[in-house]
Amino acid sequence: MASQATARIRNFSIIAHIDHGKSTLADRLLELTGTVSARDLTEQMLDTMDLERERGITIKAQAVRMSYQARDGQNYEFNLIDTPGHVDFAYEVSRALAACEGALLVVDASQGIEAQTLANVYKALELGLEIVPVVNKIDLPQAEPELVREEIARVIGIPAERSILASARTGEGVDLILEAVVNGLPPPQGDSEAPLKALIFDCKYDAYRGVVVYVRVKDGRLRSGTQIRMMASQGTFTVDEVGIFRPAMVAVEELTAGEVGYLIASIRNVRDSKVGDTITELSRPASEPLPGYRQVSPMVWAGLFPVDGDDYQGLKEALDRLQLNDAALTFEAESSVALGFGFRCGFLGLLHMEIVQERLEREFQLNLITTAPSVAYRVALRSGAELEIDNPDQLPEVGLIETIEEPRVKLEIVVPREHLGGIMELCQERRGEFVQLEYQPPGERALLTYDLPLGEIIHDFYDQLKSRSRGYASMDYQLTGYRAEQLVKLDVLVAGNRVDALSVIVHRQQASGQGRKLVQRLREVIPRQLFEVAIQAAVGGKVIARETVPALRKDVLAKCYGGDITRKRKLLEKQREGKQRMKRVGSVEIPQEAFMAVLSLDR
Amino acid sequence: MIAEAERGPAAGLYLHIPFCETRCPYCDFAIHLGDDQLHRPYVEAVVRELDFLAASGRPPGGLQTLYLGGGTPGLLAPPLLEQLLRAANRSFGLADGAEITLEANPAGLSAARARGWIELGFNRVSLGVQSLDDQALRWLGRNHDGATAEAAIGALVQAGLENFSCDLIYAVPGQSTERFAAGLSRVLSLGPSHLSCYELTVEPGTPLARSVAAGRSRSPSEIDFAEQHRVARELAGEAGLVQYEVSNFARPGRESRHNLGYWQGGHYLGAGCGAHGHLGVGAARRLAIEAEPSAVGVRYWNLRGATTYLRQVAARGDGRRGHESIAPEQAEMERVACGLRLRAGVDLRDPAQLAGARRLGQLGLLTVAGNRVAATSRGVEVLDRITLELVSSSRSPVLA
Repeated sequence: MASQATARIRNFSIIAHIDHGKSTLADRLLELTGTVSARDLTEQMLDTMDLERERGITIKAQAVRMSYQARDGQNYEFNLIDTPGHVDFAYEVSRALAACEGALLVVDASQGIEAQTLANVYKALELGLEIVPVVNKIDLPQAEPELVREEIARVIGIPAERSILASARTGEGVDLILEAVVNGLPPPQGDSEAPLKALIFDCKYDAYRGVVVYVRVKDGRLRSGTQIRMMASQGTFTVDEVGIFRPAMVAVEELTAGEVGYLIASIRNVRDSKVGDTITELSRPASEPLPGYRQVSPMVWAGLFPVDGDDYQGLKEALDRLQLNDAALTFEAESSVALGFGFRCGFLGLLHMEIVQERLEREFQLNLITTAPSVAYRVALRSGAELEIDNPDQLPEVGLIETIEEPRVKLEIVVPREHLGGIMELCQERRGEFVQLEYQPPGERALLTYDLPLGEIIHDFYDQLKSRSRGYASMDYQLTGYRAEQLVKLDVLVAGNRVDALSVIVHRQQASGQGRKLVQRLREVIPRQLFEVAIQAAVGGKVIARETVPALRKDVLAKCYGGDITRKRKLLEKQREGKQRMKRVGSVEIPQEAFMAVLSLDR
Repeated sequence: MIAEAERGPAAGLYLHIPFCETRCPYCDFAIHLGDDQLHRPYVEAVVRELDFLAASGRPPGGLQTLYLGGGTPGLLAPPLLEQLLRAANRSFGLADGAEITLEANPAGLSAARARGWIELGFNRVSLGVQSLDDQALRWLGRNHDGATAEAAIGALVQAGLENFSCDLIYAVPGQSTERFAAGLSRVLSLGPSHLSCYELTVEPGTPLARSVAAGRSRSPSEIDFAEQHRVARELAGEAGLVQYEVSNFARPGRESRHNLGYWQGGHYLGAGCGAHGHLGVGAARRLAIEAEPSAVGVRYWNLRGATTYLRQVAARGDGRRGHESIAPEQAEMERVACGLRLRAGVDLRDPAQLAGARRLGQLGLLTVAGNRVAATSRGVEVLDRITLELVSSSRSPVLA
């Protein structure tokens, strides 16, 4: 039973597919509750990074508190928590949802429910959240609100009449949504007098104030001066300030059970404030932490190298800066014969990698080469030693190796029945082992489970999944363990020189096929040189595929310059600059895209 | 030698005459179409600019080369041509045995006309033949056919001009290598002392570029270039014309002295719209062009439009639009880049470049004798890349 104080709090998030109108709806709620005036409303308030706005995805969670005077005459406190929206950030999503009691499910009235959305709905249902469906964009001419209502009823089991029809753009129905938040979502439970338990659902680094921790207080109270302990990471701190998001940070005296807000406690590193961790009081600790905490660790690694060697220090500083705000990012120095000095970086997944890469290039003006991503392998040597490698180039000689184990995942895919065949085929191609198949009653959807090597899903699996299901399949995966396999290192030789940054670890049976495709792809991206260049793929020193880039046939301008030598010289100066951006191996110049060639292999 | 050249006045003069009867779609030179009324005021403006440029100084012994290019300077009436020659002589003097070239087109060229040019003092004609193949000429948008071009060459010979050059364009889409070779053989049989073979280049901003972009014209292929360039070298060689520069062939002793000046880093003045000049810092200063303190030379360029040029000359005496100071390393880059285009090659001074050249020598692309480096016949075909490798030798993998 909710106490008097928590009865008028509603904590909720919005679950929606990209472009179904989540941000517009959030903006409208902020406006109608007077949290932000229409004048101050920048488009899509909650996605603060340029990158987020452009890609239409949320990378960091956001929170905002709104006051709403309901039709029952009471004032309610709404906390809207915006969640990231990609499989790479599945864990972060689950923690943001765990901070809520309910969710608005926003579905485009002309598109219907999408698979990725469904995965998050199931996650929310699993966490016991109440769902209020909103059929949005009903003002569009092609809108079919009733059909979408029925679909929601069929797939999720929420009666059609409970789906609210609305248009965030025109404002129609938004009042109903606000009322539904009051009446359809439960208030938080919790006891402000019990020992403190607060869930960390995100944090960010602020240059002036240090780490700002986003918390949901489940039990107890948080106020400035409280001595706190992080139950998983064990750190202890004294709270300097607690506050709420309106959406700017506003200090308050205390946060009590059921409330969402932030705390600042001279925490210097985001690693000391782990998402999913439970904060308790040092002097009166909770007996056990909140459930669901998971150590977040990188799943894939790739080398990041500055194109211009002089940018190495700049790259280091930029990574340091990003890491302040990104606990999942790891990096350590590495050097490559082909690429020089750079960093081996660990990421949650490929999207995370792309985001980091893009931010480094955009926010820090760095020009980077990224090598093909790899997973971490466990290698047992004949000598009895064991090592873990996340860079294929570090694999010891074949003769020294006893076994190589690769990480495996339990992969769950939700897919409409008609695309099941194609998706199962994809899993088989990626060395997947079938675990089980269930149909989600009462719908047409299959829940497919496979046991498969992580290395097989980090490249283009997600894209393939989407293209083979016309966008309808969604996936989630969890690391399950390691298994020894017949794995080999595929090396690439350019003009007889091994290019360390191009080595990949593949299954023995796939080596020749992969090798052939890799050299073909490289032949396309390596420009002709003054001499013929052989590109070879080799396993254990044995060449298994070869292509040749023919020598440049003609590169001379036989034209009349007249006396305009300036033009000729400027062209040459420009070409010379372009040349500096190429990487060289032996006597061959290799363009940046070659190092990502392995990613675009069409299997 | 260089120090003296830096101070001394230029011994070459280029006069740009922009007038043309038609626009060739591939051309990106400064031209002005069919406006005979403008000929006289334009020539008067050039004469005025020559007066202005006279301040740069008289080369000892006079100008060694004078080149009237365009456009189509052969379109000017003889009295106007005479006026230009007189003005050049008045401002700078003309050396005994100076090379005085006139560019002309085949249309309307008769032996009598050519004789008139010789009488004025021209001793070299560069004829824009481009092709003898009617189909190719139509594609190129030329205002003459093959027979007219042949007749024009005949007229030069008939007029007693022994030192003349024919311009040819190769790699014209649709023209086979065989047809190109046949036309070239025919031209060579008519006895030019000099041949310029230019590849068709699609220059940005030209009607041809727009046509290619719109898919109306095929862009020439790499194969055509390489093949036809090689054919040109072979046929010219058989006719006794030596490839002394990437696109230029001559009987020994009949190389274009004026153009050699460009490639050997020589100083020259340019007058007329769109003309370029290269001066020592002393000569530049006498024209009130201030160079950077570290500069070893100055390059300048004139306004491209004939009418804007006329206006500026009337107002201030010169047609200059801009200039740049040439720093020592830029001069060195130009020296290597231009020198490599010559059969004689260039002396490399930088040990890294020289070491790189030896490597390229092993690939059969360059010959290296002491410091002197020259492209082989295979090397000429990829010369721009070789040049790039050499001038960026500190970062070049090939040379590492």
